[in-house]
Amino acid sequence: MAGKSSLDNVTQSKVDGYGFERDGDFDHSSYDEFMSRYLAILSRRSIRWSGIVSKKNRVPRSRKVKRYCRKGIPNEHRPMVWMCVSGAQESMASSPLLYQTILKSQHDESTVEAITIDLHRTFPDNIYFSANGNLRGPLFNVLIALSHKNSDQGYCQGVNFVAGLLLLIVKNEEKVFWLLDTLMNDILPDFYAPDMKATQAEQELLGEIIKWKAPDLHAHLKKMDIQWCLVATKWFLCLFADVMPVETTLRIWDCLFYEGDKILLRVAAMLIIQNKDQFLRCRTFTETMDFFKQIVNNPKITDCHAFLQKCFTELGPFPKAKIKALREECMQGVK
Amino acid sequence: MANRAGAQRPNGATQGKICQFKLVLLGESAVGKSSLVLRFVKGQFHEYQESTIGAAFLTQTVCLDDTTVKFEIWDTAGQERYHSLAPMYYRGAQAAIVVYDITNQDTFGRAKTWVKELQRQASPNIVIALAGNKSDLSNKRMVEYEEAQAYAEENSLLFMETSAKTAMNVNDIFLAIAKKLPKNEGGGAAQPRQQGMKINNSETSQASEGGCCK
Ligand SMILES: Nc1nc2c(ncn2[C@@H]2O[C@H](COP(=O)(O)OP(=O)(O)O)[C@@H](O)[C@H]2O)c(=O)[nH]1
Ligand SMILES: [Mg+2]
Repeated sequence: MAGKSSLDNVTQSKVDGYGFERDGDFDHSSYDEFMSRYLAILSRRSIRWSGIVSKKNRVPRSRKVKRYCRKGIPNEHRPMVWMCVSGAQESMASSPLLYQTILKSQHDESTVEAITIDLHRTFPDNIYFSANGNLRGPLFNVLIALSHKNSDQGYCQGVNFVAGLLLLIVKNEEKVFWLLDTLMNDILPDFYAPDMKATQAEQELLGEIIKWKAPDLHAHLKKMDIQWCLVATKWFLCLFADVMPVETTLRIWDCLFYEGDKILLRVAAMLIIQNKDQFLRCRTFTETMDFFKQIVNNPKITDCHAFLQKCFTELGPFPKAKIKALREECMQGVK
Repeated sequence: MANRAGAQRPNGATQGKICQFKLVLLGESAVGKSSLVLRFVKGQFHEYQESTIGAAFLTQTVCLDDTTVKFEIWDTAGQERYHSLAPMYYRGAQAAIVVYDITNQDTFGRAKTWVKELQRQASPNIVIALAGNKSDLSNKRMVEYEEAQAYAEENSLLFMETSAKTAMNVNDIFLAIAKKLPKNEGGGAAQPRQQGMKINNSETSQASEGGCCK
């Protein structure tokens, strides 16, 4: 299926191109306005990408591909590019029988129970995950296989949304399994560990980055008694799935699969910093918390192209060494 | 009774006290914590309620005589591994609803563990309510009413069987909590906050909130 066709002609529909039902108050006009601009960008990107996708339907890692990923991967290439640049393709090729073998093996009862509880609670407003949809089965398979392969991490609520969105895009259970496995082990190690320390530390790190990039805002939020773990747990665990509009989440994942965890921090920091003035006007804890809910889904975020561009241009550098040092400090602070 | 029964407008413009309380919902995954909050705050019920990741923050206001009680509600995730985050949510809370599912004995056991933890580690004056949810499914009942009530009495907990689906006892349990909370001068939240609570910030909010029951 071509990327464009899944987006075209659905702007007025009650269901979007990915099967999500739209709220009654969905803002069709601002979405249409954005979409008409974005479709032109997408077709331009599509032509560029077709020049670097090899005949074998592969892409290598290179500076050019990295730049291209930041500008967005066309839908028709997304599954392949994610698989190639993340290393998931290689892992799959080196253990071609593993996924099916795990599925056929005996499953741990309590894990089955935990996953089953979440099957009808993952994207209930998506037609493919509804009772009549066809993705609850694949979702179960992917999650149970993942929990068995990574038995030290087990099943972590939150991964169900990541897996769900991957299934909608990649449309192949086994590939989704390997992408998730790569996320858990290579791109975001310990994020889904049972002690949750790495995710807590990552949120403290977000706080440190706000302090570094916008000290006045940081001081204000501190005065409002905002703790980072109260706002960003779902952002980090779901990698913005079920948090932001789908198109925006996918653009974030285009970068995540190529360059890793830093994009999550950039996005989270940008979300907060681009709303600095309104945050400074929030006078209470409750007001501030309510505002945190609004910043993830509004026209500024729907325009994923502009938002992603901003994340890279307006926050200044995120030097690897500095991030690493801050992260280690935060990790030590988490008891 | 389904819709916001707790949030009636007072007759006339009596300006009473405004109290703000932090309330946390705890209990195993899928017992209906989010559904209870959705029923209380929006008067709705979803057969397919999304799993809660981390925690969700909501507010709702109820009126009691001349007092406006504003709840800051933390609806937490139930999975065991999220347990390590729980203290962040119940620290400084003046009230907690510990939820179990009357059709699942394990969830009642888990509820008792939560109660113990709260009694040991939360604020000493915390008001704890026990909610036996899904009471509409009485044909699948596994936890007897009497058993839970006896346990609640022993531990001085408020107790009700609730149904987020039919709305039975949902507003009532929040109202019962509101009644039991101390409403001393200057708002109920004032005192515990001095005992080093991090999250509440009701001082400024009372000033800006003004009226009763928006
Ligand atoms: N029959 C019935 N189902 C309920 C009730 N409350 C919640 N549920 C269902 O139980 C499931 C889990 O509810 P949820 O609120 O997500 O539980 P949580 O994990 O504790 O937040 C959902 O499918 C709800 O629709 C109830 O009172 N009666
Ligand atoms: Mg919930």
